[in-house]
Amino acid sequence: MLSVLIAGPMLAALAVLLVREPRQVRALALLLSALMLAWVGVILGRFDVAQAGMQMSEFWPWLPNLGLNYRLGCDGLSVSLLALNALMTWVVIYSTPIDVERPRLYYSLILLVSGGLAGAFTAQNILLFVLFYELELIPVYFLIGIWGGARREYAALKFLIYTAISGLLILVGCLALGWLSGSPNFDYPTVQATVNRLGVGFQVTLLLVWLLGFGIKTPLVPLHTWLPDAYVEAAPPVAILLGGILAKLGTYGLVRFGLQLFPLAWAQLSPALALWGTVGVLFGALAAIAQKDIKRMVAYSSIGHMGYVMLGCAVGTPLALVGAIAQMVSHGIILAILFHLVGVIERKVGTRELDVLNGLMNPLRGLPTISSLLVLGGMASAGIPGMAGFVAEFLVFQGSYPIFPVLTLLCVLGTGLTAVYFVILLNRTCFGKLDSRTAYYPRVFFAEKAPALVLAGLIVFLGLQPMWLVKWSETTAQALAVTELAQAPWTQGHFAGLPSVHSPLQP
Amino acid sequence: MTATLEPRATLPPSRHEFAAVVHRLEAGGAMLPDTPENLMQIVGIWYAYAVPMDFYWRDLLYIGEQVFLHPLPFFKYFISQEYLERHNHYAGDDADWRIWRGEATAHPALLKFMRQGETRPLPRLLHHLWHDRINMEFAEACMRAMLWHRGMGGQFDPYLDSEEYKHNADRAIRAYFQGNPLMLGLYRLFPDLFLEQCRQASYYANLGLFWEVMAPVFFEIHDRYLEGTIATVKDAVNFLVNGIFAIAGRPIYHHVYIRGECYEVIPKSRGFMWLYEAALPYVEAVFYRTSPFRGTKSYNAQAQMVPDQQKDFHYGVLYADKFPVGTAGIPPTLLAQDMLHFLPDYLVDYYRQHCRGEDDMLNQLAVSFQRSMYCVTSAVFQALRAALLYPLDDPNPRHLMANRRFFEAQLDRFCRREYGMRDAARLRDIQSPDYR
Repeated sequence: MLSVLIAGPMLAALAVLLVREPRQVRALALLLSALMLAWVGVILGRFDVAQAGMQMSEFWPWLPNLGLNYRLGCDGLSVSLLALNALMTWVVIYSTPIDVERPRLYYSLILLVSGGLAGAFTAQNILLFVLFYELELIPVYFLIGIWGGARREYAALKFLIYTAISGLLILVGCLALGWLSGSPNFDYPTVQATVNRLGVGFQVTLLLVWLLGFGIKTPLVPLHTWLPDAYVEAAPPVAILLGGILAKLGTYGLVRFGLQLFPLAWAQLSPALALWGTVGVLFGALAAIAQKDIKRMVAYSSIGHMGYVMLGCAVGTPLALVGAIAQMVSHGIILAILFHLVGVIERKVGTRELDVLNGLMNPLRGLPTISSLLVLGGMASAGIPGMAGFVAEFLVFQGSYPIFPVLTLLCVLGTGLTAVYFVILLNRTCFGKLDSRTAYYPRVFFAEKAPALVLAGLIVFLGLQPMWLVKWSETTAQALAVTELAQAPWTQGHFAGLPSVHSPLQP
Repeated sequence: MTATLEPRATLPPSRHEFAAVVHRLEAGGAMLPDTPENLMQIVGIWYAYAVPMDFYWRDLLYIGEQVFLHPLPFFKYFISQEYLERHNHYAGDDADWRIWRGEATAHPALLKFMRQGETRPLPRLLHHLWHDRINMEFAEACMRAMLWHRGMGGQFDPYLDSEEYKHNADRAIRAYFQGNPLMLGLYRLFPDLFLEQCRQASYYANLGLFWEVMAPVFFEIHDRYLEGTIATVKDAVNFLVNGIFAIAGRPIYHHVYIRGECYEVIPKSRGFMWLYEAALPYVEAVFYRTSPFRGTKSYNAQAQMVPDQQKDFHYGVLYADKFPVGTAGIPPTLLAQDMLHFLPDYLVDYYRQHCRGEDDMLNQLAVSFQRSMYCVTSAVFQALRAALLYPLDDPNPRHLMANRRFFEAQLDRFCRREYGMRDAARLRDIQSPDYR
């Protein structure tokens, strides 16, 4: 079942290359991405939320001499991100302007990235994961470099260099782990069984290597400097791809290969990781406040929100992990709607400058629906109750407060700062007086609103029915929880009293 | 009286910021460029304006003469049949001063809309509550602008403070509240309050009498445009100027009818004339001044965004932003909504071809209205020039220079930088056909 999610998009990438008519290329890409989305629906239907281990496993010995096997499987973490990946792929294709240049190559690359991501999220062989991880590097480089903004080449090259270093670090960590632990192959269960042969010092070192590698991808401060350029210069659909799902590859790697594989080392580094996440939250929010470009503002907001994921992972309790996984999904959806709306505004108004935009809520000559959805997206990002963002952040905070109360409170302050920059953005962009001398903006067609309407519906639905957001990962989070944290000095006397993963949301 | 003569080339070119407009005015034209597209817009919008105006003037007179000081005037927009059928004094076969060719009774398009509205035939109360009706609130806003600014020249306004007026008003107030000890007691306690309400009723009458003239003017211009006898913007301005002079001396008065008896609060015998006591104050109050509109745009008086003197207010239609939300000027949404119901087909087709078509037709027609009001203001300039200064073809260069100084002084009102007036004025914008 899972192979369909990998092979499907890759075959689709080939199929669209064979179609000549641009409109048919788009239609085919849209159809195939919709089919993938439907297939994820089937997988979700068959997924047993009560089972902690890998499900729907597939195995095929590929290069046994290298320890490389085609081993797939999914748990609550994977299946959540698979669903996000399929949804984002559809949104990216749908939100791409009809007149995009070189459509065959464009849609082909999008589908290739989608297939690679599905492979990375399901790979149960670390070397296979690295292959899929590297697979998305070149397509995304082209997506930024060909269809990006004025400084696209610079941004694409910067992305390429950073991500290549990230991939190299992950490959080094992978090979070192395999060779040092004496594991006969790179299959995840085998490596997991042999990792304890390594001393804590080795484990911490390997974890640090992967933290750097995945930290670049996520990205975490101060490894983030590629992000503003890449997100801003990329076309809005590609920015959705980058922030909505590709960044989750980093956080997925942190959980799967950091927290799950090295629980002892993770417990040792936990306070530093929580501090790292908190710094990211505050830095992202403060940097966003200082921006004058709304797309750059959204890009910096992404850095801040990844900090919440880091905080939840650092804590490692079941509840915090559920929150962190929920934050990955909700952040993907919220960032997608924000980038899509910013893209529509830029296309219609011709600028992203905060000092130029004004009064877009005007019912006749403005972009009232887009503005309303932007308000909703901003509220969701700021963690307003009733929306998906609140559920994720609330769970992270509830999980982390008993262990790291000060850092948690600083992160709560970060949500306040998020509200500050979104109020600035919304106040200047949507409200105020539209300049009648320049406001001859073209109308927004329903097709341009549709992706945002779908995402907005999802944000509200998951905010009101949070079980649909968290139920997939509860059991997995219970299994992933870092029990070694119970012995850590900073959790003494607190760990036993932590809220259960089931306490806040179970009916 | 005519303003169609070509200017003699005896003066050097104007150095005014709006020199092209000055030259156009010196040639008998308007501030609006003379193009067929502009003509179509202004004539079409005047028709759409005239239909609701045919209701405005009737209801304004109804309120001023019949509702008067009713303490709870819930039904003041429910005009009586008598006033709906009231014959215009300047149009129709039985007009006592027939100048225009139109019908005396309410326009058929208005009557149809009053029956049907945008929805379907319903009891009048439901149409009213659903706001599917003529927006009299707009007319009242114009009236209040005139009342609030006051002191804009003429004799009508000072008369409202005279002892004679107070005496007449006192008679009317006492008669109106006869047998109502509560209201009479309140009147005894707060006489100025009632007097001020009476002044407001007088301005209802003033504006009603003004628009009674303007409605048939606009109808006839539209008819003549369709016939082809008005073929340029200059023709339209000339028609207005001629109309102004034909009607200038008609009386402005305020009669109140209480239990069948007429109380002359402002008698016709005072000799207040239409041009000086209604038309000019109206243009000053509504076209130029009005007041900072209570929309989403906020004005900070402490930051000098609101002028110290009312004469410097610049929130009228000549400065107003076309956007119905967060804008300055007369409540434009209500008027635009009224005009939308009566747009001629050719104008609807025109709007469909530009900007967002039907989606922002309210904006587009508001801009057309602004263009047309610059034309009306041009006609006022020409009329004042003709009344106070010299003919456009005067052979004396000094006279021509005096005319130029007059035009330039008028245009200076759109150039002043204080309080952002220069930026707010739309004269610059209407020179371009792309301003929509």
